[in-house]
Amino acid sequence: MTARAPAGSRFLLGAVIVAVPLALALLGPVLAGDPGPRSVSFTLGGGHWLGTDFVGRDVWQQVLHGGRTVVLTGLAATALAYLVALPVGLVSAVTRARRLEELLMRPLDVLLAVPSLLLILLVASVFTPGAVGLALLVALVNVPDAARIVRAAAGEAAARPAVEALRMQGETWWRVAVGYVGRATVRTLAADAGVRLTGVLYLVSTAAFLGVGVAPDAADWAVMVDRNRTGLMVQPWAVVVPAVLIVALTTGTNLLFDAVLGAPSEVPRRGLWRLRLLRGWSRSSPRPFRGAAEPFLEKGRRVP
Amino acid sequence: MRESGLRSFVARRLLLGIAQTVAVVLLVFALTEALPGDAAVALAGDQPDPARIAAIREAMDLDRPAYERLADWATGLLHGDFGASLASGRPVARYIADGFGPSLLLAALTLALLLPLGLGLGVLAARHEGRLLDRLVSSVTLAVYAVPEFALGVLLVTVFALKLAWFPPTAVGYGTDLLAHPAALVLPVLVLLARPVCSLSRLVRAGMIDALAAPYTAHARRYGVPGARVRYAHALPNALAPAAQQLARTVDWLLCGVIVVEALFVIPGLGTVLLNAVAERDVPVVQGLAVVFGVLTVVLNLGADVVAYRLTPRAGVAA
Repeated sequence: MTARAPAGSRFLLGAVIVAVPLALALLGPVLAGDPGPRSVSFTLGGGHWLGTDFVGRDVWQQVLHGGRTVVLTGLAATALAYLVALPVGLVSAVTRARRLEELLMRPLDVLLAVPSLLLILLVASVFTPGAVGLALLVALVNVPDAARIVRAAAGEAAARPAVEALRMQGETWWRVAVGYVGRATVRTLAADAGVRLTGVLYLVSTAAFLGVGVAPDAADWAVMVDRNRTGLMVQPWAVVVPAVLIVALTTGTNLLFDAVLGAPSEVPRRGLWRLRLLRGWSRSSPRPFRGAAEPFLEKGRRVP
Repeated sequence: MRESGLRSFVARRLLLGIAQTVAVVLLVFALTEALPGDAAVALAGDQPDPARIAAIREAMDLDRPAYERLADWATGLLHGDFGASLASGRPVARYIADGFGPSLLLAALTLALLLPLGLGLGVLAARHEGRLLDRLVSSVTLAVYAVPEFALGVLLVTVFALKLAWFPPTAVGYGTDLLAHPAALVLPVLVLLARPVCSLSRLVRAGMIDALAAPYTAHARRYGVPGARVRYAHALPNALAPAAQQLARTVDWLLCGVIVVEALFVIPGLGTVLLNAVAERDVPVVQGLAVVFGVLTVVLNLGADVVAYRLTPRAGVAA
């Protein structure tokens, strides 16, 4: 249905684009070595390959050190979001107690109303979160949406006759929920995880740019972009290099996951459009947008 | 049957909206309660002299029980009274009124350009499905979709403001009257547009491809209905339901984007007010702005859901 033809080339393109920032982020701190003495701020040359930054540190050194926090915080936040969303979504999909489902899912609907960056800034106005705090916050912001995706994907699997058969055979709850329903949703969730990781990387780097979760002089690509902006006229490299690396990281991740999983990542972060599109496309259904407003009010299980 | 379906949908959706609004207010209020230890001491931060701590305690009524303060604050909100800033003592409503203009201008300009651009690109790609133009548009939108505004913005500033000197690099010196200096608006709006345009055009493209392949469009063509009419009068409305939904989600992005773009281009809007208040730990200002932003998001999402429901009424039957 969609133009899947360039998936191979897109995979290669994504892999190449993401390889540079990823290698720098993971291997950079190992290769960096001794930071060396500070010199004058915002200079070019003078033994500094990419010049110096706003406090006179070597920009290349900072670039080598600055990727790790973004990548690790992003990965940790994505994993954490699923750690909460998976059990919540799975239990509310498999359970037959409507009350339990409402109890689990309704508070998340309400959380969805708060814009993600706003929530992070709200907390930052009162606490001073570190990298761990930022990862927790970004994970928290992602939980409601992830739980709904899990709930919807698992709800469909849970409504299949096979689940009824398993129940009648007296299989344990664990085997039905995790062994059958959980496994049936893996592909959808893998696609969602790719999209989510892109969104998380966006949020983590934007928060760092705004000064949340990082020290003001931290070796972090987003912080480098922010702090070195004052010297953009004299010393553009201190800004351009980290900015390009962040662009490469987010763009490459998105292209790569799109090619690998065929995830329609253009679909909004919130709501179930993504899921419906996924299903619609994979089955070539003529009406993939059925049930537009349904996710908000979905009561009970859909009849398959 | 359908009317009553719509009515009950709107009623239930309104209830959810009200619950969300209440939750936003509670969440924002709970923030001061979450302060570790003595809130006044925590908020004084770098200047912990007793006079300042006492002033903060006085200003925020910290000696009274939490529920009384919540009741007062909530009634104040209903009357448009958001409290007073800790840093300057000015009413929070003044801050909001001052910052509203530039932010609204940015958001309105972005939305006004977003619709034609997103729809146009989506339809264009769908018409050339699978060919070079479509692949180009799809790849570029997929790539740009993920890029954070600040990184894109800083690169655009480097190229277009510093190297080519086409536009000013920031809006410093223009005050709140940005409309008089359109050149200063080009880059901010471009940065704000980048992500929503990509997501919208990809959704429209997918919807259009489906709609153009559907039996009813084939039938219309067999009747000799002109191609453009089939495309825009018959296929496009059906491709719009997910786009309407996405437009509301865009509010969330636009909000994030406006905050970042205002910081990047030094525009004195609500985002700048919010960031300054966060930096100064001026909790009443942060709370007031958070309520405004949160309620705005709730209302716009509600509207978009109702529109999306109207565009796909069969959803109520099929679900």
